[in-house]
Amino acid sequence: MPIEYYFSLALVMFLCGVCGVLFRRNILFVLMSIELMLNAVNLVFVSGSTFLKNLDGQIMVFFVITVAACEAAVGLAMVIALFRRYGTIKSEFFRILRG
Amino acid sequence: MLIWLVLLFPLVGAVWNGLLLPRHKLLSHSIAVAGVGLSFLAALPLFVSLLGEGAAGSVHLAFSWIQAGDLDIGMEFVVDRLSGVMLLIVTGIGSLIHIYAGGYMNEEKTTARFFSYLNLFIFMMLLLVLGNNMLVMFIGWEGVGLCSYLLIGYWYTHKPNAVAGMKAFVVNRIGDFGFLIGIFLTYKMFGTLSFSQLHEVLAGQESLSPALTSGLTAIGICLFIGACGKSAQLPLYVWLPDAMAGPTPVSALIHAATMVTAGIYMMTRLHFIYYLAPSALMLVAFVGGATALFAATIALVQNDIKKVLAYSTVSQLGYMVLACGVGAFDAGVFHLLTHACFKALLFLGAGSVIVALHHKQDMQEMGGLKKYLPITHAVFLVAVLAIIGFPGLSGFFSKDEILWRAFSFPGVGWVLWLMGLFAAMCTAFYMVRLLCLTFYGKNRSDEHTRHHLHETSSVMWAPLVVLAFLSIFIGYLGIPPFLAEAFHGSNLFSPFLSSVIQVPPAGEVYWSFLHEHHSEALEWSLMGASTLLALGSASFAFILYRNGPTPFLQERKEAFASVYRTLYNKYWVDELYDRIIVRPLKEMSEFLWRVVDLGIINGGLNVLGQSLMFLSGVTSFQMTGSLHRYAVVFILGLMGLVVLVIV
Repeated sequence: MPIEYYFSLALVMFLCGVCGVLFRRNILFVLMSIELMLNAVNLVFVSGSTFLKNLDGQIMVFFVITVAACEAAVGLAMVIALFRRYGTIKSEFFRILRG
Repeated sequence: MLIWLVLLFPLVGAVWNGLLLPRHKLLSHSIAVAGVGLSFLAALPLFVSLLGEGAAGSVHLAFSWIQAGDLDIGMEFVVDRLSGVMLLIVTGIGSLIHIYAGGYMNEEKTTARFFSYLNLFIFMMLLLVLGNNMLVMFIGWEGVGLCSYLLIGYWYTHKPNAVAGMKAFVVNRIGDFGFLIGIFLTYKMFGTLSFSQLHEVLAGQESLSPALTSGLTAIGICLFIGACGKSAQLPLYVWLPDAMAGPTPVSALIHAATMVTAGIYMMTRLHFIYYLAPSALMLVAFVGGATALFAATIALVQNDIKKVLAYSTVSQLGYMVLACGVGAFDAGVFHLLTHACFKALLFLGAGSVIVALHHKQDMQEMGGLKKYLPITHAVFLVAVLAIIGFPGLSGFFSKDEILWRAFSFPGVGWVLWLMGLFAAMCTAFYMVRLLCLTFYGKNRSDEHTRHHLHETSSVMWAPLVVLAFLSIFIGYLGIPPFLAEAFHGSNLFSPFLSSVIQVPPAGEVYWSFLHEHHSEALEWSLMGASTLLALGSASFAFILYRNGPTPFLQERKEAFASVYRTLYNKYWVDELYDRIIVRPLKEMSEFLWRVVDLGIINGGLNVLGQSLMFLSGVTSFQMTGSLHRYAVVFILGLMGLVVLVIV
């Protein structure tokens, strides 16, 4: 299968993630969209690695997965804390950093 | 070994009383008396070992204190004949005053703090006296200053006392600054601060280069500024009269017998520097003479019994400084010794009077106390006779020695002698005035006070009797040689100190007159003249004041109103200092506070902060706090970057 197929799929996934971040109001969905974007990038890494016969890209994926796991853990913890405190996780509710 | 005990006992006493603060008055008193008394007992054999023919001093090193490069300063103590004499004065008279203080402070609730300070003072004074280098002496010097401050302001809830303490401290700091500069100069020139090493260097020189002479003169003047502060000489004497705010035993111990003589002791310890800097010594002589005269005239008209004694102390210290100034360091130390005895006695006697009158100090409310306080009157009379130079008592010998040595100083000696002579006449006048106003005539205190008048307890008068005996007999240690020959005795004091106080070889030409022989007729006539003048002035005062304040005296006061007011207001020196130093300083501080600090610095920072607030207000509306907005901007920016990189 040509490499373009993989890259196109990755691009579609990434754009889905961007749209999710931009348009979803629920922080949980925003987090999931970020995961989607990360996985799109992972797909590019893996397919590129196979295509180029170079393992560097696959090693990088492990790092990304690790970081994504941490990010998800911290992010979910914050979401839970926010929900406990304010009873909502709608992102437009949180505007206390307004200058 | 004994020297450590001498130092240890007062320190232990101070720490015990100061940290454990025993509630019981008798306990704290006993601790303090034991602290200084045991120190005296330990000092006695030390002194006796110095009595032998040609006994040399010894230096004891406790530990090496500061080592940095060439600088090596040890915690070193010197025991020689000079420090030995001081050791006995400090611990001996100190013991008597400690005993007396127990009676004087009997009305207080607790006395632990008081006796802790008092013992700490003794310890610091011993450091000052025994130190073998300038730095150890300086610790003691500052330490006694601290104790003086603490004790002047002992009754600190009364504001004038606290103010007097601060005044003493601040004025002394001015002098200490000079002392410090002197120490720095010494180190710069000689690379050492040790007295014995300095003496070795200077005594080893046959002649001095002009650079060295001017350096020594600078050192001498700087150190003398320090002495001016501590020994209350013009122009830094102003703190001593105010220091009388402290309890009377403190005035006797610190502000009459010991601490204020530190300047004289320091100059005597460094006589080898001063002998080689005659111009500095000339300044010393004139400051001393002027102070003796100046303070004595103020004392003529004061009404507070302690104020009179305070100005008298300043005046007598002037005598000692004058003696140092004419190279008669042994005479200075001799007067220090006799003065310590009779002035301590005068102060303690005044203290007994004050206690008997329930803390009234105004002599206008005294009078006729002879009947009520017979013992105090007797010892006070002895002290007065001693200080005015009544023949045969201690002050007679020491004061005459100083006057004679001043007179025999070539050139300006007769000016100094005249100053001393006038001061002696004033001394006789004001002391007899004080005696009459206090003890003779009719009693002028109110009925209630008179009803409670009675002699003080034995713990208070016993030390006075000892001091009275000392005041009578201690003068016979230093009978002038010509009198000694006439009475088949000998002068013990000057030869005793001569192993310590010697003119260095380089100064022998200038100071050759010290060994000159004078005709005995001249000495006899000078002695006779000064004695007659003093006694004449004393009898004049007695005739005027024997009945207390009379209408006649009031008329005289009004006839000489301008002179009287000038003297009564102490030549307006305090007001002058207030006008030219204190007030400008205050105004400048006010200016720095209100204009520079609040106006420029604080105001400037406020303007800076407010302008930043304004600027941030201009831009901060961008920060909406909306997560989506941020994300949109972020992604747009990212896309912009991608476009930029690709295209």
